[in-house]
Amino acid sequence: MIPFEWELILSALLFVIGVYGVLVRRNAIVVLMSVEIMFNAPILNLVAFSSYVGDPAGQMFALVAIALAAGEAAVGLAIFLVLYNAHGTVDLSRVRLLRW
Amino acid sequence: MYEYAWLILVLPLLGFLIAGLLGRYFPKHVGWVGVVTIGAAFVVALFLLVQVLQAGAIGGHVPPETVRGIKWVEGFEFNLLVDNLSVFMLTLVSLLSTLIALYSIGYMKDEEGKPRYFAEICLFVAGMLGTVSADNFLQLLIFWEIMGLCSYLLIGFWYHKPEAASAAKKAFLVTRVGDVLFLFGVIAIWNIFGTVEFKGIQEGLAANWASIDPRMLTLIPLLLFGGAVGKSAQFPLHVWLPDAMEGPTPVSALIHAATMVKAGVYLVARSFIFLVPTHEVAGNLEVIDGAVPWNAILVIAIIGGFTAFFAATMALASYDIKRVLAFSTISQLAYMFLGLGAGAWLLASHGVEETVGYSASLFHLTNHAFFKALLFLAAGSVIHAVHTNDMREMGGLRKYMPVTAWTMLIGSLALAGIPPFSGFWSKDQILAVTFEMGAEQTLFYALYALGILTAFMTAFYTFRLWFMTFAGTFRGHHEDRVHESPGVMTGPLAVRAVFAVVSGLFLFIVPGTWSNLIFYGEAAAESPLKTFLHFPENALAGLSIAVAAGGVGLAYLVYYRQRIPAAVFTRSPAGAGVHRILSNRYYMDNAYNGFASVAVMAFSRAVDWVDRRVIDGAVNAVGRGTLALAGASDWFDRKVIDGAVNAFSLSTVRTSLSLRRRQTGRVQNYAAVVVLGLSVVILVVLIVRIVLPALGVLP
Repeated sequence: MIPFEWELILSALLFVIGVYGVLVRRNAIVVLMSVEIMFNAPILNLVAFSSYVGDPAGQMFALVAIALAAGEAAVGLAIFLVLYNAHGTVDLSRVRLLRW
Repeated sequence: MYEYAWLILVLPLLGFLIAGLLGRYFPKHVGWVGVVTIGAAFVVALFLLVQVLQAGAIGGHVPPETVRGIKWVEGFEFNLLVDNLSVFMLTLVSLLSTLIALYSIGYMKDEEGKPRYFAEICLFVAGMLGTVSADNFLQLLIFWEIMGLCSYLLIGFWYHKPEAASAAKKAFLVTRVGDVLFLFGVIAIWNIFGTVEFKGIQEGLAANWASIDPRMLTLIPLLLFGGAVGKSAQFPLHVWLPDAMEGPTPVSALIHAATMVKAGVYLVARSFIFLVPTHEVAGNLEVIDGAVPWNAILVIAIIGGFTAFFAATMALASYDIKRVLAFSTISQLAYMFLGLGAGAWLLASHGVEETVGYSASLFHLTNHAFFKALLFLAAGSVIHAVHTNDMREMGGLRKYMPVTAWTMLIGSLALAGIPPFSGFWSKDQILAVTFEMGAEQTLFYALYALGILTAFMTAFYTFRLWFMTFAGTFRGHHEDRVHESPGVMTGPLAVRAVFAVVSGLFLFIVPGTWSNLIFYGEAAAESPLKTFLHFPENALAGLSIAVAAGGVGLAYLVYYRQRIPAAVFTRSPAGAGVHRILSNRYYMDNAYNGFASVAVMAFSRAVDWVDRRVIDGAVNAVGRGTLALAGASDWFDRKVIDGAVNAFSLSTVRTSLSLRRRQTGRVQNYAAVVVLGLSVVILVVLIVRIVLPALGVLP
């Protein structure tokens, strides 16, 4: 059996990799993918704590969250589509309408 | 009863207005305005004189009558005084003025500014008539100042000539010294008596003399005499009169010989109410012994005696025909003051009936007014013909202008004191009274000696003048142009010549004429001639005739026969020195000028310095102080207040400038900030909840 701590560490790694991707990558699609990676970290936590505590409600909640994440991805892709139509690019470093 | 007497003042004033305001529309005939108005005043004055004479002025006592006029302020009215003295002076002055106005028409024929001339003459006559008819000292002073103004204006008639302008200023300023003393006298009178009217003063003095400070009783007549010294050009204020000859000759004759300079004598005659105070005892007037200011009387007599001698010496060395006459005027006026002084002493010591000295002075005033105006007008006629004042450029004029020559000879004989011409009678009487008073106050003997010496010099310089002008040969230029003057000039000369002879004989024609001029009446009814009729006076009369004849004889030998060359007197060093002193008028003019230029200028400079440095300095300092304060305020406003406001806004701008750079518009930057902030929150929670409790710092 995989120790509980390793699961938490994996979750933290996923989160940090996601943050890194959000902060560093310029392509909006990649940023959205990194957000999905970050999203998976708490879901993994839900599953880990559910098995650790022995309550299956956590795993059910993880399934609900995955479904919500699909919706989130759809909204995000729609935004980027509009962004691309307006600016002709999805490079976040070029979209600076709120600059001073 | 005498209300029409106001006409005497109003008529010349009317002439002044007509000539002054309308004269420029008829400049050729403006002179007749003066002659007619002044002549009309003379007619009215003559009528008044006749009325007063009928009321019993001769041989008796006419009570002084006041003609009410305008009330000016409470306690002071403009009134006319009608009494013997004022009516006599009114008639005399208006007669002389009429004749001189007539003469002026000829003399000023070719002058520019005739309207101005005749307007000023009319105003002067109004001033003089007002002076002699005032019933109080304040009104007298007001008209006295009008005369002074006209004298100034007329001396400076040719104001474009610098000598005339400065002579006018000198006359005005020097007489001003006397006028200020006179003003002080009037103020003192008002303070002590509460009135300035002659009558009120006389009554107040009789009632309260014991309670008045005796020093004031001496001071007041001396202050009034100070005014007379200035106006009548007595020592030491005599310096203006010779220079006043820069004016037109009729002005010299009218103002500076016949009338204005006599106002001083008139003023002293009026101040007899102080010199010889009287009160009534059992119906008779008696002198108040305790209130007689003996020292003041003595001062008047001494100034008179000394000035007579002093001015005569200066006349000896002058070559200017008008200046000789001016010095002679000073000298003759001084005789009058000597006579008034001696006469006051006589009245005070012998009682109110002994008016001989007083009346002799007024007699001399009259005689002198006629013969000196005659001499001046004759001199004017000569100047008109030869166009110079210098006697060294005349000579032999008898041939060309016989009327002038003979009338001037009559005037000269009168001035020299040769009987029966008028000057002799009055001058001799003055000297006789002076001599008699020597028995009471030895000083009068000395004054008599001065008077006799003066009589000798007078005869000498008068005939020196006549011989140099009319005898011998002509020494000037343009002999062909010398001519006799026109009828309007020789006519008044002839009239005056007649007066110069007969005015002395009034003494015999109308007994008591002059003694009745004493204005408090009660004079001796008989002729003052009675003093002539006993021994010492006969001897004195003989002596004065002898010295006068001696003077004339010496002048005859020196300047006519030329037996004695004139250089004899100036050959020796002492003689030359005396001559130099005399022709420089004892250096008194230089001394006064020196005083003016040193002391007055130094004072002015000091005042100027104070003005510039202290007053202006203070004002400038205030200005500079205000400026500095404003500067400081401005600096504070700009630097501190504005600085604070600006610094606040600037720092806001700077802060916002630096803050806005944080708005990069890059979504990842914002995300980074969120991550950073979350990390910090987590770190803090970790430290506070885990690290610190583990280290034992927090529970």
